[in-house]
Amino acid sequence: MLSREADACYWIGRYVERAEATARMVDVHYHTALESNRTLFAWSSLLSVADAVEAFASRNVPMTDESVLAYFCFDQDNPDSIIRSWTAARENARTIRDEIASEMWEALNVTYLELGRWNIQLLLRRSPSTFFAYVKESAHRFQGTLDRTLMDGEAKEWINLGRFIERGDQTTRLLDVKYHDLLPGLKQAQTLQGGMHQEQHLAAPDPYGIGGPLDEHGWASILRSVSAFEMFRKTHRDGITPVNVVDFLVLNARFPASIRYCIGQSTQSLTRIKAAGATPRGHEADRIAGRLLADLTYTRANEIIASGLHEFLQQGQERINTLGDAIAQEYLTY
Amino acid sequence: MGMFAGYSSGLSFDELIDKCGQPRPYAKVLVDAINDLGPGEFERRQALADLSFVQSGVTFTVYSDSRGTEKTFPFDLIPRLVPGSEWKSIEAGLAQRLTALNLFLHDIYHEQKVLKDGIIPREIVTAAAHFRPEFIGADPPGGVYVHISGSDLIRSPDGSWQVLEDNLRTPSGVSYMLENRAVLTRIVPDIFRNQRIRPVHHYAAQLIANLRALAPDGRDNPNVVILTPGSFNSAYFEHAYLAQQLGVPLVEGRDLVVADNIVYMKTTHGLQRVDVIYRRIDDDFLDPLTFRPDSVLGCPGIVNAYRGGNVALANSIGTGVADDKVVYAYVPELIRYYLDQEPIIGNVETFLAWRPTDLEYITDNIGKLVVKAANESGGYGMLIGPKSTLAEQAEFVDKVRANPRNYIAQPLIELSTAPTYVNGDVDSRHVDLRPFALYGRDGRTTIVPGGLTRVALTKGSYVVNSSQGGGSKDTWVVDTDTTPEVPNAIA
Repeated sequence: MLSREADACYWIGRYVERAEATARMVDVHYHTALESNRTLFAWSSLLSVADAVEAFASRNVPMTDESVLAYFCFDQDNPDSIIRSWTAARENARTIRDEIASEMWEALNVTYLELGRWNIQLLLRRSPSTFFAYVKESAHRFQGTLDRTLMDGEAKEWINLGRFIERGDQTTRLLDVKYHDLLPGLKQAQTLQGGMHQEQHLAAPDPYGIGGPLDEHGWASILRSVSAFEMFRKTHRDGITPVNVVDFLVLNARFPASIRYCIGQSTQSLTRIKAAGATPRGHEADRIAGRLLADLTYTRANEIIASGLHEFLQQGQERINTLGDAIAQEYLTY
Repeated sequence: MGMFAGYSSGLSFDELIDKCGQPRPYAKVLVDAINDLGPGEFERRQALADLSFVQSGVTFTVYSDSRGTEKTFPFDLIPRLVPGSEWKSIEAGLAQRLTALNLFLHDIYHEQKVLKDGIIPREIVTAAAHFRPEFIGADPPGGVYVHISGSDLIRSPDGSWQVLEDNLRTPSGVSYMLENRAVLTRIVPDIFRNQRIRPVHHYAAQLIANLRALAPDGRDNPNVVILTPGSFNSAYFEHAYLAQQLGVPLVEGRDLVVADNIVYMKTTHGLQRVDVIYRRIDDDFLDPLTFRPDSVLGCPGIVNAYRGGNVALANSIGTGVADDKVVYAYVPELIRYYLDQEPIIGNVETFLAWRPTDLEYITDNIGKLVVKAANESGGYGMLIGPKSTLAEQAEFVDKVRANPRNYIAQPLIELSTAPTYVNGDVDSRHVDLRPFALYGRDGRTTIVPGGLTRVALTKGSYVVNSSQGGGSKDTWVVDTDTTPEVPNAIA
């Protein structure tokens, strides 16, 4: 297929995934905050996940439910807002209507038209979860239509590739920031286990402390952000511990939002794209993807935590970015 | 008469209802079926159809709208009917016209016999904005210049058909013809029953077959592409739609590259040779090396590849000289000259401002005439005398006097009407008809039965262009055993 069209497919995959990921993340933060009564904390942490702390601050509006929800859902100046992501997916689809099935285009277009009817007042009036559910369902409708109507081949693989690269990137960022938020509790846990530093303020029961209800609440909300909670329970019956969460979200081979799974799917898509006859002008993309997948396959969660999860995730994110660049360079540009 | 009670078309010929308010014989089944649906159900179906166009994004872009928004082309559920017996003459008339125009183009770019014989003044041809003297002597495949055309037909109060204008460059609208039929069969299957309506969906199959036949010799499984200016073009939906229907890539200029006089497209599989280009870009923008150097829409080198016979273009370069509105006035003569036949479908009477006597007539009667610029389309650059102010008329007189070669005038034709569903009521609105003709390398013309019926949605308005508030209807060529009671349907 035309390189420009492959590029458009790749970005359709990324943007639809980004809209869905944003909806999930904002939804979970909003509802977690309601329960824990720590709204401000939840919002600033969400802005860090989205790498949007400065962009939001530059708007000079107080951080409220309304302003942050508006920023993530409807802000036309926030390139990652749900409305901008979906519009971009639809614009890309409009330029390749001849490549994708009409029903796929319609799935994108109908949601685009519906999103145009929403605004922040309506969202607050009707309850935010209605809106987020609609966005998630729309993404699934698109994916379902794709599965049912699009031939196996390059277009499908490029969309898939975009989807999994974006999802891997989102999981990486989410875990990095949330881990950072929960770090105080984790440090305490390590201290306790070491039996030292008894001067820690443990006199009053700390609701955020290890084993406290809010700590577990925090880890659970990470899992919920990527719809992983129930699947996690089935996999790690010994409970929510940082090592288990990292194991599940970074290294699990079968969970659709784990970083390893996303990179695995991406490499498979690249293989199928080549099998369909594509001729990359180099092997960097293959090399980066293969090596990243190997690292994710043969590393253990406690090793990652011991050597620093933050560093591991930062590196992971850089490697995913480099992979995206290599794909663009070797397959999509002339 | 149910929903059609009290219907009147005024002075115009109505396509469905006769002067006594009765359905024409070929429209009776349809009118009964619509009445069976009843107003409430009809309203509901119309809403469904509107929604369907919005959801599937069948849109065009309005340039004058600063937001560049996409609009749907309003669609009226009541089809416009043409009886099969009349269609036969329309088909023959358009084939005759297109054949003559192709012969004219070949002549103009080769021997120029038509000029030497004085059939058409040389200066009319050489001054036409779309004449391309650089292409004199160039030989398109099969000697065919126009492969795809869409001439606009209108019907006078006496029921006779005339050609209003020819579109021989990149005529648009065929996607609406196809989509209108698809939507109508889905939304109101009821009205198709008990009738014989000729299908239109073979257009795409015929088009791709014709395009493939243009490939350079020895290219057995040719790569055909559609070249679009991009997603900001007003007709982008149509370009994408046709690519989808034809199963060919939709390329932009930036997807193409020319090396050693061969056109390639940039794919994930490397560079692939392109053999046939159905281009929806005007000559001026096709190749910055040959035409407008500032154009970024086309591809440098494409014209030389074409001249070298390494790629075919549909339509060919320079066809615009034949749909110039001044040249239009000579088409009946051209038919007699090249084919030695009388034109089956006539022209609208046309006054040419470059002739001093016509110029006098135009300036004296401007309030009664429709004045058009020779090379504008889409309803731009025209004056409808009876609907204009004195100031507008004076302004146009100045324009015409300043550049007479660029203007023509025609009497205002009372266009035919068709029943149209407007604000819950069936009312008469003016319509025209654009059938789409394909001309093969072998000289064979194919016209799908029907075409795009455009309708002026404002009561009394004659302007049917989509950019000026027009809508569209499905067009049915219906076969009945009853002979249509339309005297002298074709002059």
